[in-house]
Amino acid sequence: MSVLSAKFREDSVALNIIRQSWLPVDAVVVDGRPGLWWMDMSGANLAEPFFQQTVDRVKSENNRGELFTEFDVLLQLETQLDSVPPTGFIFHSSRCGSTLLANACRTLNGSIVVSEANAIDKLVARFITDAPEGSVKESLYSVFLRGVVHALGQRRFGNETHLFVKFAACSFAQIHRIGRIWPGVPSVFLYRDPIETIVSNLTEPPPWLKDNDRRILASVVGATPAAVAEMQLEELCARTIGSFYSLARRVANDNCLLLNYNQLSLPVISRVLSLFNVNPSAEEMKTVERVIGTYSKEVSATRPFVADSETKQQTASDLVREMAGKWANEPYCQLEQKRLEQS
Amino acid sequence: MNAANPAPGKHVVVTDFDGGEGILVDLNTKKYYQLNETAMLVWRGLEGGKSTHEIAVDITSNYEVELDQATISVERIVNNFQTYKLLA
Repeated sequence: MSVLSAKFREDSVALNIIRQSWLPVDAVVVDGRPGLWWMDMSGANLAEPFFQQTVDRVKSENNRGELFTEFDVLLQLETQLDSVPPTGFIFHSSRCGSTLLANACRTLNGSIVVSEANAIDKLVARFITDAPEGSVKESLYSVFLRGVVHALGQRRFGNETHLFVKFAACSFAQIHRIGRIWPGVPSVFLYRDPIETIVSNLTEPPPWLKDNDRRILASVVGATPAAVAEMQLEELCARTIGSFYSLARRVANDNCLLLNYNQLSLPVISRVLSLFNVNPSAEEMKTVERVIGTYSKEVSATRPFVADSETKQQTASDLVREMAGKWANEPYCQLEQKRLEQS
Repeated sequence: MNAANPAPGKHVVVTDFDGGEGILVDLNTKKYYQLNETAMLVWRGLEGGKSTHEIAVDITSNYEVELDQATISVERIVNNFQTYKLLA
């Protein structure tokens, strides 16, 4: 594997390399300098359910070049890369069908789907950990975030027309800042019954729930990092999704659609695409129909989807029920009410 | 373009942000500068090869401000750009 490290004076070299279908695959700190890790992704479709799965696949298949640059490269690339502006944003409360929706978007001709890319969500997290409201850093991270999405949305094949960005669950907490960067870009917030969501997260805890940097979840649930560190996963998960439900109720409008997991169906996905101003052909919708019948997170997309709501309800522990009742059920009901008003 | 007009340095990258404001980055020093709406108008004017007087006139047509006051503001901003070595 060839690994280059771009120094200050080598930026022009880095730029020339990156312009040839390289993508920012992570936000990192190298030798005390925050910046981006880039990888040669030429010829690689973002075909997997998650961006990182594509990165891992491409890495394993080929001897790909990698490169570190500081963030300012993004500002230069913004004027040089031909890129697709965001078509729609997918936010979610974790384990609620958002990957299925992203997969459906991926089947459309000319679409780029960037799903939970590290470079995006780590920058969004910096809003929480390092950028007070109104600060210069907030502006800087906003510009960098815009630049990262611009770089990820570059036309590498020439026929791309749609760019869908699926954010990690915790990034939803920063929707107001994301909305300021891309005013007018439609979005959807997916969510699911709190008990089912908590059971799913406890069965296989996702990175956000196990994150050692407790500042993110502390900000989301309105507690101190020390308090978060002491919480049982049941409580932490319930408080987090409860917070997401409350926020979603506040921000939902004509341009931010609420979508419950139990609604997911071909007509509803068609409605989401309509919100995103995408008009798929009948043939594309047939492909969407096939995709939503498979388990969304498996790379091969061959495992049939099996409804598991009942199983999750039955296996929920008393503590899960207690925490859902204390922190998430009421915001969920209020959100459902808002959704019904919306439809 | 008038050769006597101050011009942005080639080592500086600018990007618009948030309805008129902007960010400059000096690629030599890796320092970032946040510009308000007026400073961005000045920077864009310099990019277009305009003189400080022409930029001041532009500002009076966009904002309720007298020309002499606009000229003072533009010159102060240009001086700041020079102080931070952002001009050629």
